[in-house]
Amino acid sequence: MADAQAQAGWGHFVKSHSAAALQVTGLHVVLSGTKVLHDVNASITRGRWVSIVGPNGAGKSTLLAAMAGLLPVQGRVEIGGEDLQAMPAARRAQQLAWMGQGESVGDDLSALDLTLLGRLPHQSWFSGLNAADQQHAEQALRSMHALQWRDRYVGTLSGGERQRVLLARALAVQAPVLLLDEPLANLDPPHQADWLELMRTLVDAGATVVSVLHEISMALQADELLVMQQGRVVHQGACTDALSHRALESVFDDRIQVRTVDGQLVALPRSTRR
Amino acid sequence: MKKWLFLLGLWCGYCCAWAAVNLTDDKGRQVSIAQAPKRIVSLLPSLTETVCALGRCQDLVGVDRYSNFPQAVRKLPQLGGGLDPQIEAIFALKPDLVLAASSSPGTERLAALGLTVLQLEPKDQADAVRVIRTLAQALYVADPEPVIRQIDLEFAQAQALMPAGARGKKMYFEVGTGPYAAGASSFIGQTISQLGLVNIVGPELGPFPKINPEWVVRAQPDVVVVADSSFSALAQRPGWGMVRALKDHKVCTFSQADGDLLVRAGPRMGQGALLLARCLQRLYSTGQTP
Amino acid sequence: MRDYVYQRPLVLGLLLCAVTLVMLLAGMLAGSNGLDDWHGLGAWLGPAQPEADSGMMAQIVWQIRMPRSMGAWLAGALLGLAGALSQAVFRNPLADPYLLGSASGASLGVCLALVGLDGSLIDMHWLARLGLTGAAFAGAMLAVAMTAALASGVAQTLRLLLAGVVVAVVLGAATSLVLQMYPHLLQSMQGFMLGSTAFVGWDSCALMLAALLPGLALAMVLGRWLDGLALGEQTATSLGLPVRPMRWVLIMTLALATGAAVAHTGLIAFVGLAAPHITRRMVRWGSRHGVLLASLMGGLLLVAADLLARVVIAPRELPVGVLTALIGGAYLLWLMRRHKQGGGIS
Repeated sequence: MADAQAQAGWGHFVKSHSAAALQVTGLHVVLSGTKVLHDVNASITRGRWVSIVGPNGAGKSTLLAAMAGLLPVQGRVEIGGEDLQAMPAARRAQQLAWMGQGESVGDDLSALDLTLLGRLPHQSWFSGLNAADQQHAEQALRSMHALQWRDRYVGTLSGGERQRVLLARALAVQAPVLLLDEPLANLDPPHQADWLELMRTLVDAGATVVSVLHEISMALQADELLVMQQGRVVHQGACTDALSHRALESVFDDRIQVRTVDGQLVALPRSTRR
Repeated sequence: MKKWLFLLGLWCGYCCAWAAVNLTDDKGRQVSIAQAPKRIVSLLPSLTETVCALGRCQDLVGVDRYSNFPQAVRKLPQLGGGLDPQIEAIFALKPDLVLAASSSPGTERLAALGLTVLQLEPKDQADAVRVIRTLAQALYVADPEPVIRQIDLEFAQAQALMPAGARGKKMYFEVGTGPYAAGASSFIGQTISQLGLVNIVGPELGPFPKINPEWVVRAQPDVVVVADSSFSALAQRPGWGMVRALKDHKVCTFSQADGDLLVRAGPRMGQGALLLARCLQRLYSTGQTP
Repeated sequence: MRDYVYQRPLVLGLLLCAVTLVMLLAGMLAGSNGLDDWHGLGAWLGPAQPEADSGMMAQIVWQIRMPRSMGAWLAGALLGLAGALSQAVFRNPLADPYLLGSASGASLGVCLALVGLDGSLIDMHWLARLGLTGAAFAGAMLAVAMTAALASGVAQTLRLLLAGVVVAVVLGAATSLVLQMYPHLLQSMQGFMLGSTAFVGWDSCALMLAALLPGLALAMVLGRWLDGLALGEQTATSLGLPVRPMRWVLIMTLALATGAAVAHTGLIAFVGLAAPHITRRMVRWGSRHGVLLASLMGGLLLVAADLLARVVIAPRELPVGVLTALIGGAYLLWLMRRHKQGGGIS
């Protein structure tokens, strides 16, 4: 099976020293004069999949970008026990793979070339791409069911197809920590299901995934929920925990309800007429 | 009595109408000038010089920014350039005659405002003489011939000054970097041929062609004429060390002011010819560059 | 699925070199009589015909024609390099090297130097000539510095582009103002603004080569990182690229290359824009070889335009910038038609 093959390829993650793959302490972020994150504390254990959820403007993407070291922050972010600010850029790039929301890409690259860019953290100044890089990139594309487009220009792909190539790019980095912002954008349900399976596989192989998802039902398939509201963390807990469900419902002003259907958690809209 | 006065008035009017000057300018416009203009605006330096040469300098009330001869006109209000005349300023001066080049924009506007506009643009020697005569008509100058005779005299003097050794020599006249040469069909080219010299740039190439510098090297001119600011770098041009004129130091340079003499087809064109002739006399009598 | 004309960049590179060599050879023959100089060249090449001016012919070929062709190639290569770099830095396929105001800066520099020296362009004594070339170069560099200052650094692309437009317009207006006060400089300025290789000698070639080599070396070394920039700043940062220092280095290199080309051959349009695009269509683009190929392509374009400029109405010359604009304009028109028919900007 292609999935087993994909799973076998993700075997070697860098083993970190502490149990927490990612730790955020006392994080304050100010963007364009506005305070977006207030004193955020979060700890993400190695080998877990955490979904950041919350209403619009809660600061989810900002938190993810701060975790990736892309924003100036007050406070401390640690990867595997090491301070992110103190880490050299190359090492950070090998430890973290970040995928942004709604990325605009130069349409001039082929899908394979774009995915190969994910290998940049592993390349030194003068070396070109080697066979291993090719292999990892192709595996990443295969796991996203996008290998058939390897020679097509990204600009000629549809939104969902492009998203899969972008995800492949993030996967190609082979980082132990994946930070994904709206990874399911433009993906149709079958591919969303594929992605869920892939995340499960990766996490079972030892990866740590932090995703920002606005599809709550999808977010509930993760291991943990990090519930945010107005720049603060309201709750962090297991997805199966009822407290997490309550927190989730309350940040959405009780407009949603969390239910279990056929053993799977779903979030359903609650009508205003009680 | 009243009948006589009436007839007298009619006769005066008829005389005046008959006496009004009717001209066709270079743009084909029919211009009628009832009496000698007392407030003249000139937007072309050669026309300014012509007005003064015809003795009507005192009637000038405004000139363009490039008119600089004679000295008196520098004190007059400057009304923009030939290509960008200041319509409002011109109108405010209430001129009874506006002189402009054929290529000057804004003249339609001025004419629409009710001003009398005469567009003349002398391009070569014959043109310049014609323009002098036309302008004399417009200004009610009885006899323009002394001006023309003076020009002819200056040309004759220039020809007389030409040393025998200079006759038939090949000349390269550079008007600007590019390099742009003065061709045989240009105004300067006519002056050159009148002085008995051969222009290395023939008439088939146009009046001011942008020439391949290699052409100059291969044509091996005997005399080179450039602006004095360009002189020092001539020998540095790739391959120009081979040019005979440079090796023999047969170079004439002209300053900015002299340049006006050479390029304006106006009453001072004879002086331009004299300028060239004097330089050639220096070169071919002593063989030294001034 | 795109079929590339050349599967391997090396093939395209060799082809470009081969055609360039042919053009350079043709440049030896292209003179004030057009291309029919076989016998003249023969007189120089073979001792059999003892023509009186065969010595002069040799000098003409080596001192006038060769440096012109080489200079045209070098300027084109500089512009092609700068074009590829600017398209990478600005992530915009329509970017050209003059976006940061360097063209207007160089024009103003030349204009002010002309006023100060009251001289004509290029026609100066060696030291003074270096001064005029230096004035163009200094003007270009200062304009880019102004743009960077106006945009408060090179971090934000849109601000940088906007600042570049502002600087270009303001400096262009200043140049027009100066020209109105000193109208006799108009013809000299026109020569500069339309581009000309008329007086390019071996010394200009040496200076341009000195600007080209570091630029190419940089592009080769930073090639992969340049591709990373295409993903956007945040993604590039997450991949470990030092985006801000990179932008500074790239913009300085691009300014240097543009300034060097413009200082010696004036403002030549479209080479910087067209060369990377043509290369992109022909071969799979990776910045490492892509920038080098764009440079080679730019050199070829300008050598060809220079050849045409010299030959078409010999002994008169067309301004080479007009030819590159015509060729480039025609190419862009064709590109737009294809864009309408096919999908995507490629």
